[in-house]
Amino acid sequence: MAIAKAERLMNLALCLLGTRRPLSKRELRESIEAYLEAGSDDSFNRMFERDKDDLRELGLVIETVENLDGEVGYLARRDSNRLPPVTLDAEEAAALGLAAKVWQQARLAGAASGALQKLRAAGLPEDFDPYEAHGALEPHIPVHEAAFEPLMLACRDRRPVVFDYRKATAAHPETRQVEPWALECWRGHWYLAGWDRDRGAERVFRLSRITGRVRSRAGRYTAEVPDVVTVRETVASWAGEIADRSALIRLRTGSGYPLRAKAVSVRELGDGWDELEIPYGHGLDAWLVEFGPDVVVLGPAELRADVVDRLRAVAKG
Amino acid sequence: MAGKPARPTNAIDQTRRMLSLVTYLRERPGAHVGDVARAFGITEDELIADLDVLPLCGTSFRGGDLLDIDTDGDRIWWHNPDDVAEPLRIAADEATALLVAARAVSTLPGLREGDRQALLRATAKVEAASGEAAGASSRLSVTFESEGGVFADVDRAISERRRLWIRYYSPSRDELTEREIDPIRLVSVGHTYVEAWCRRSEARRTFRLDRVAEIRILDEPSAPPEIELRDLSEGLVQPAAEDPEVVVEVGPGGRWVAEYYPHDSADELPEGGLRITLRTPDPASLRRLALRLGRDGRIVSPPELADSAREAAREALAAYDGLEGDQDGPYDRQEQGL
Repeated sequence: MAIAKAERLMNLALCLLGTRRPLSKRELRESIEAYLEAGSDDSFNRMFERDKDDLRELGLVIETVENLDGEVGYLARRDSNRLPPVTLDAEEAAALGLAAKVWQQARLAGAASGALQKLRAAGLPEDFDPYEAHGALEPHIPVHEAAFEPLMLACRDRRPVVFDYRKATAAHPETRQVEPWALECWRGHWYLAGWDRDRGAERVFRLSRITGRVRSRAGRYTAEVPDVVTVRETVASWAGEIADRSALIRLRTGSGYPLRAKAVSVRELGDGWDELEIPYGHGLDAWLVEFGPDVVVLGPAELRADVVDRLRAVAKG
Repeated sequence: MAGKPARPTNAIDQTRRMLSLVTYLRERPGAHVGDVARAFGITEDELIADLDVLPLCGTSFRGGDLLDIDTDGDRIWWHNPDDVAEPLRIAADEATALLVAARAVSTLPGLREGDRQALLRATAKVEAASGEAAGASSRLSVTFESEGGVFADVDRAISERRRLWIRYYSPSRDELTEREIDPIRLVSVGHTYVEAWCRRSEARRTFRLDRVAEIRILDEPSAPPEIELRDLSEGLVQPAAEDPEVVVEVGPGGRWVAEYYPHDSADELPEGGLRITLRTPDPASLRRLALRLGRDGRIVSPPELADSAREAAREALAAYDGLEGDQDGPYDRQEQGL
């Protein structure tokens, strides 16, 4: 049976951490059983390169040193791999314990537990139940979008990407070339902010509208990455939450609670109807139509026209 | 609280864990399996699997000195403890995962102030200890949405085990109902919800906090029946197989329906449209959706639902007949003065 990958990685990590001098590839191959069994030079080399990458991925700093004979050696120095002293009290430990559980995405969930385990090994206090300590709160960060992981890595490594993107109302996806800056989760959905190379401008993309695979592109960023990336403001303006106008509507008494909650004024008309003034950005027409015969738009004229237009489309249905 | 759901074994996560495990075990000869598993957030079976691998590992280059670690299933012994692994520095992905989560949790309205302060202190310490690795964490951020005041009341009611009275908005019926609920837990998945036993419907219900119009903590104790908690990670709305089926066809402008409604299938139509099949216990509640879609989509079945949307639209249009400026025939926006 093939030797499990975790065992191989663990042996390589311990060898590199345990040595005081750089170990050559040959020496490592001879000391680790899985490498002895690797067969050809080619398959050993591939395996060894992948393993080094994996260990670096989990945080190990592996140095590559050339000796006098020109032979390359590897070692993971203790002092560059040691966690600096960090002292956390029981309350702080409990708070981190809660935070480490919120990811619903395998890679980040694994990484968050990994961080906590490293702190635990360094003496982080235990003996707590995060749910006990924090009442009944169970926050989760949902990640359902397949594009999340490749984009997260691209943001981290500052790698340009290409993907097909279907705009909210577009019939077909379009290929976009993007220098990804940051990902943000708002109201349970993930968004990417970055530089759109073809449009020569900053753009925000909703991850669920990315179709197909996210592909990496070689090369550097061409646009400067801003210090502060404001995804939420852009998305809020899409959602019509930045109010710059005011609508006047009639609403049947007792109905439309969310409209009432948003209204700046409510006047009882006394005939089974109330009159409301509602601040809005865009998108109010579609929302008002949801209330069917319980809403009548008085103004502005444009909003009224949009609502009537939508109602006619449904009435013809 | 039961352990987290088992994930498929991942060699990287396991290696990372085993490296921390050896450091941890060195300091604790004879540690109990149950305690170690809990400290590492894994099941006892996962820990035993790690303990099966460790004796096969070592800094073999120095002459085959494998880690002599064994367990009798209750306690764990390391017979040749060595400082093979000191506590390791935190990697970039680890720092990102923990710091982004910690920052998100610290913004939760209703989090107890003491807990928030502890979390902020911990975040600053982890950030400092992570050094450069913390840098990439600024490229991810998460905001939880919830209603501060309502949240605090629900949280308090849960910890004091008291019943709540709420006035709750149901969008599918466009009505406010009053009910008494015995809260069980708060869940944040995008929006924040309280899962509770509803005394009115005598059933488990999930209430979205931003739809709670009014809330009061009652003096009666909360007494929810023993019910099994569901795994909500796949979403809060989990339609049942016996729920009636609704078929909606949308154009490109209605594709968002597939993003917002859990569905059984979404098949591409020519010209960028979708044919979406979903299930709901109460198809009438989708009248709102039919109205909202306008010309971007239509209900294919059930026909009663399509009829009721058409009827509602006609009734709504009738109200405009009597108003100034409305005409039969083509609609002229210029004439819509008020």
